[in-house]
Amino acid sequence: MLLSLLLIIPFTGALGLLLWPTAQSSERIRIGAIVILAVQCVASFAVLLPFDPTDAALQLVEKVRWVHSIGLDYALGVDGLSLPLVLMNAVLCLVAAVASRSIENRPRIYFALLLVISGAVNGAFLSQNLLLFFLFYELELIPLWLLIAVWGGANRSYAATKFLIVTAVSGMLILGAFLGLAFVTGTMDFSLRPILSGELGLPAQFLLMGALLIGFGIKIPLFPFHTWLPDAHTEASTPVSVLLAGVLLKLGTYGLLRFCLGLFPEAWQLAAPWLAGWAAISVLYGSLAAIAQTDMKRMVAYSSVGHMGYVLLAAAAATPLGLMGALFQMISHGLISGVLFLLVGVVYARTGTRDLNVLRGLLNPERGLPLTGSLMIIGVMASAGIPGMAGFISEFLIFRGSFQPFPVATLLSMVGSGLTAVYFLLLVNRAFFGRLAIAPGEVVNPRILDRVALREQVPAIALSLGVLALGLAPELLSNLSEAATTGLSQLSGGLS
Amino acid sequence: MIPLYGFIAMLVSLPWAAGLFRRVAHRPAAYLNILLTLLAFAHGSLILQEVFQSGPVDLSYPWLTVADLELDISFSLSLTNLVALELITGLSLFSQVYSLGYMDKEWALARFFALLGFFEGAMSGVVLSDSLFQSYFLLEMLTLSTYLLVGFWYAQPLVITAARDAFLTKRVGDVLLLMGVVALCSFAGGMGFNDLYAWAATDSLSPLAATLLGLGLIAGPTGKCAQFPMHLWLDEAMEGPNPASILRNSVVVTCGAIVLLKVMPILQHSPVALTVLLVIGSISAIGGSLVALAQVDIKRTMSYSTTAHLGLVFIAIALQIPVLALLLLFSHAVSKALLSMSIGGVIAATNCQDITELGGLGSRMPATTTSFLIGGAGLVGFLPLGGFLAFAQSIELLSVRSIPFMAVFLITNALTALGLVRVFRHVFLGDALIKSRRAAEVNWQMALPMVALCVVVLLTPVLLVRLESLDGLLAFPLWAAGLVVGSGLIGLLAGALIPLSKAWSRSLNPLLRWFQDLLAYDFYTERFYRLTIVNVVAGFSQLAAWFDRNVVDGVLHGVARFSVQSAEGLKLSVSGQTQSYVLTVLVAIVLFLTAVSWFLT
Repeated sequence: MLLSLLLIIPFTGALGLLLWPTAQSSERIRIGAIVILAVQCVASFAVLLPFDPTDAALQLVEKVRWVHSIGLDYALGVDGLSLPLVLMNAVLCLVAAVASRSIENRPRIYFALLLVISGAVNGAFLSQNLLLFFLFYELELIPLWLLIAVWGGANRSYAATKFLIVTAVSGMLILGAFLGLAFVTGTMDFSLRPILSGELGLPAQFLLMGALLIGFGIKIPLFPFHTWLPDAHTEASTPVSVLLAGVLLKLGTYGLLRFCLGLFPEAWQLAAPWLAGWAAISVLYGSLAAIAQTDMKRMVAYSSVGHMGYVLLAAAAATPLGLMGALFQMISHGLISGVLFLLVGVVYARTGTRDLNVLRGLLNPERGLPLTGSLMIIGVMASAGIPGMAGFISEFLIFRGSFQPFPVATLLSMVGSGLTAVYFLLLVNRAFFGRLAIAPGEVVNPRILDRVALREQVPAIALSLGVLALGLAPELLSNLSEAATTGLSQLSGGLS
Repeated sequence: MIPLYGFIAMLVSLPWAAGLFRRVAHRPAAYLNILLTLLAFAHGSLILQEVFQSGPVDLSYPWLTVADLELDISFSLSLTNLVALELITGLSLFSQVYSLGYMDKEWALARFFALLGFFEGAMSGVVLSDSLFQSYFLLEMLTLSTYLLVGFWYAQPLVITAARDAFLTKRVGDVLLLMGVVALCSFAGGMGFNDLYAWAATDSLSPLAATLLGLGLIAGPTGKCAQFPMHLWLDEAMEGPNPASILRNSVVVTCGAIVLLKVMPILQHSPVALTVLLVIGSISAIGGSLVALAQVDIKRTMSYSTTAHLGLVFIAIALQIPVLALLLLFSHAVSKALLSMSIGGVIAATNCQDITELGGLGSRMPATTTSFLIGGAGLVGFLPLGGFLAFAQSIELLSVRSIPFMAVFLITNALTALGLVRVFRHVFLGDALIKSRRAAEVNWQMALPMVALCVVVLLTPVLLVRLESLDGLLAFPLWAAGLVVGSGLIGLLAGALIPLSKAWSRSLNPLLRWFQDLLAYDFYTERFYRLTIVNVVAGFSQLAAWFDRNVVDGVLHGVARFSVQSAEGLKLSVSGQTQSYVLTVLVAIVLFLTAVSWFLT
């Protein structure tokens, strides 16, 4: 019942917000949403209590026959792979709601959509039925599309349409693969279990896995299916970006681990060398493209392309260590990109631009944004994999876990890690170092640079603390998930 | 035996204490930092005493265990490590007191001290570390804190590029080192140095793998120690505050060398890596001291001589003479710290770093001048101080191993002496020029550590003799001593006799001028990098961005346009006859299913 609660709270909350009398101010609606999401957060963390981290199997399973004739059952369960993602979803949705200040345009709908996303993502992470997963996977699309298309920036309709069409293709491929699975296996059983070669020939496995790979590859996103992401990020508002990078991309990597690797372990093993190569290309391409960006948000978005490539690398290796690294990377990327997008949002709100050719000297203690700058340094350093922060642990685990099966791809990905330092250093050096422009005619108008109240930075500070905590005490996460990632690795026989 | 609590508290509180208190006020943060450093130093000496009497101790705490990976936090309290720790905490203490004076009017004093504390904590960790993973961990933290310290005055354009280059250069070394660490971790399993040594003794790596591994392992220290070809950052980093330069020139580079020293037994299996190490060391030693001769910025003359001396350390490590490496490191660290303090005094008093614009400070700033003299004497093998002992010992040890490298040592010694005398004549002798006319002696916060460090440098021989592990220190033959003194004297005389004109910085003779420019611009290394690596990365990133906009997005837009256009076209074929629609759909489904079944069977 606890897991269903994680769906009931946000969905009923969204309904409640919509039915709330219109006279309420946007601030009160925001507080209402925060309260609901805080409860959701508590409920998510409450799952830790009955959860047994030493058990690799699904726990707290809930099963109700639903539309059983087409194989759609309501089946939820949680394991060490999905639990951290559920927790992160709860935290980041709360952060997004806290960061959604001054939403004047239809605040009730805005916050209701936020809640729907939170619930849908939870549903996707917890589903133990392929069709149910697909339903939640698609359900999260529409609110996000609306959030970009209605509350987005100037070029929002292009970005939102691109996002919708491209990710709808992803959904179609995934549904196609799931239905194809039923078609070729001849059963209407959509429960999640590994399909072995005794049951299904390898060509069929490859076909189905390929469809899933491209479907999730679009979502992750991997080169060359990534261009929707920078556009969507640039036009989305800050909290939506936080959700998009932090939670929604993880649906793709989660799908990769759970469905590509989990359903077709044999085909996966055969395809692994190609996947590792794909990962390295994606990492290098994302990092190089990020260097050339001048819009801070686009830069962070391209860094996501690079950093999500590590997950594919580790998934390809499928060693226990690598999979732990992949999970670690999902969590640390979620927290770190959350920090970065929040801070870029602050800069944009204060200066009206994100252009690195224009911004200078924002670290100025009097008229600049010193706290934002300091947090930004922490954020970019974490992203660049400096030890002491979560990014380093995940990168180290991934590299160490993937080095033995795929040394070349791993070394190339490490070059990508070095390139991360290049572009983020450029970002800090250009925007925060140097002299703050003072002439009134210049774009960065000092009068706009109001002091950022500490409470406005609470979300970023909280996430930074999380990044540091995971970086210094990685066992917090690894103990929770080790059984699950090891189990998943054994499924594919582990390549090492 | 060893109070763990105090030790941990020391390491933990050092980096963070200042950070926590920085919001209260400036001065208390500084005092607290100094107090904690003092505690660290005192605690370190207590442990040193105990280890002196009862032998080394290893401490280990589990940190992260995942699957087959076990990472521990482990410290090795050996005599060498503790001496290095004392060196670091001691010099850090001195430079912190020094910064009270030097950074007197700095608005962000607390930030500076917080960074210094972080810096010191990371360095202490590096020297005590007993696992390669941990060393890497802390070296990266050093990279970060160097970046922040160099970028301390972030509003100045030169500082921005300096901080960027410092970070990126070190980062290149670190990434290569990380590759080595990951590879080693995969091959050897454990990450403790002892496990690695045991593994290295029985390794069965292919020569290529061993070579790549070795090169990866030396890349990190090469970046940290500002060795050729990753030396540019130390020179540029001189744009940062001077107290941090003191530490950077003395102990940070020592940390890099100590890590190299710790991986030395693993490098043994790769002849190529050792050769590379020797080449790097020799080029840095001779090249560095030559380049130092042509600099007009007083801090840059120092940074290049640091590169040169660390080059000698690299040679010693490549030849597997750890005692010599430690000796060189120790004598270099204390003397270079003193020299940097003295130079800091000059800069603080005159606000000028160009030696051609300074002069006659000798009579105006006696303490600073004395410090420079003593520091220089300690660095160069001439008077019987640390540098002399180190050089004499090197000559003796190298004479049986390799005569060419002995020559490298002697040449470096002569060139260093020449360079120091040149700077001394420019800055402290001669008539007072406009910028140095009103210079006065530094304040007591700066003078106190200077004088104290003078005493330390003078006592270096005594300290070295007291350390039993370096026994036999004074057992070098007379001819070795003679060679060292001779080379020092040559440099000294050359420096004293070469006519010193203000045009020295740019000769009128074209050939000499070409040579001078070559050295002054550091063999045009910077320009070379800009033309090669920087351009390549920038080019590729532009290419990727172009590809993204035009090819990837182009295809996407093409598909979109195609579907819109075909929809426009199909619109015209709408007839309203349901049968034809059904027929089309049916045909499509049949075709699709046939294709799928054909593929699957």
